[in-house]
Amino acid sequence: MDDSRAELEEGNALVRACAGGDRQAFHQLYLNEAPRMLALARRFTGESSLAEDALQDTFIQVWENARRFQSQRGSARTWLFGLLRYRLINQHHRSRRDTFEPLPGDQWPDPGPSPEQCSVEQDQRRAIIDCLQGLQMDRRRPILMAFYQGFTYEQIAETLAVPLGTIKSRVRSGLKGLQECLRL
Amino acid sequence: MIPEQPDAQRLLIAEYVLGLHSREQSAKIEQWLEEDEDAAQLAGHWREHWLGAAELLEPVPLPPRVWREISRQTASADARGRFDWQWLWQSLALWRTISVALLVAVVLLLGPLRVPAPVYTVVLQAPGEAASPGWRVTVSAQGDLQLTPLSESQYPANRSVQFWTLADPALGPRSLGLVQPGEPLVLPASRVGGVESGQLFELTLEPPGGSPADRPTGPVLFIGRAVAL
Repeated sequence: MDDSRAELEEGNALVRACAGGDRQAFHQLYLNEAPRMLALARRFTGESSLAEDALQDTFIQVWENARRFQSQRGSARTWLFGLLRYRLINQHHRSRRDTFEPLPGDQWPDPGPSPEQCSVEQDQRRAIIDCLQGLQMDRRRPILMAFYQGFTYEQIAETLAVPLGTIKSRVRSGLKGLQECLRL
Repeated sequence: MIPEQPDAQRLLIAEYVLGLHSREQSAKIEQWLEEDEDAAQLAGHWREHWLGAAELLEPVPLPPRVWREISRQTASADARGRFDWQWLWQSLALWRTISVALLVAVVLLLGPLRVPAPVYTVVLQAPGEAASPGWRVTVSAQGDLQLTPLSESQYPANRSVQFWTLADPALGPRSLGLVQPGEPLVLPASRVGGVESGQLFELTLEPPGGSPADRPTGPVLFIGRAVAL
């Protein structure tokens, strides 16, 4: 088993242990997953204290709902990030930020190979990176703004100073490219 | 709101997972996902893929106060749970009522019981979840006991599930051995000892191989009291 698969398996086991009331497992899960979750929350909120509140609430929710986790529906890490993003989207989504912030992926070459030309890695977590790299920057950037910063179509259009219809068209074109590349 | 064309539906799901829609639109999509298993699966695939993008983020140091607060709040929630649990433990009338009601439901659902003429039955359920029977115990007129799973439950792989009974609080709980999750267990009368109405049975999560003490040390998974038939 490779390291990334082992990491995911460990996360699944830790959440199952949380379901049984194992506080040590809960702490280990926090140490493993929270540093990147906090990084995502800071991107969304643009503010440390709000990000920390979101992280805190998410882990309390994890402890209280660990019994509902079903590994056949996805990894524990996906579940944790899903809970965090759901909370962030619902509570901080609409806060307006005009600044153009650097995002992971900005340094990738443009234009990259087309999504169809990308070789899809076996590891689906790596596949999304390959497929994103295959998008042209004007499609990739708004998609990354939505993922990392929780921007809506309107906020993306405003921040990039591009008409809303153009942004929707670019994002949808980019998502179709990702769908084909990821075979979804 | 939800398009009929499959291509448009797939695109809608991709947009939803990214959080591009308004709260009202998202609520409608969520309702649709609850009703459409294929659509929900596609949303799940997208989320699993996007995890790769989340992993590009540089981990940031965790302020100690965050864990302190999580720990404090979850501990106080657990304490509230223990209070409720003590009340449930001591409420014999409540357990009898719930056990009889669940037994009727179980008998109706599962048909005739295979154990001949049980004289006692216990429906074990998760604490605080009266509508979730997990196991059934039946005790025959000869005193033999059968433990039967009623639902699929997940347990940590590195822990053991142990079966206990408590006839007399003054004597303390007595182990009836380890249980394999999802598998029935039959115990002879000599192992079970006498059973009487109201006697408590429970399953707890213990370290591998069982509790290191002569009492439960881990959380209660399922619990119930014997009801005479």
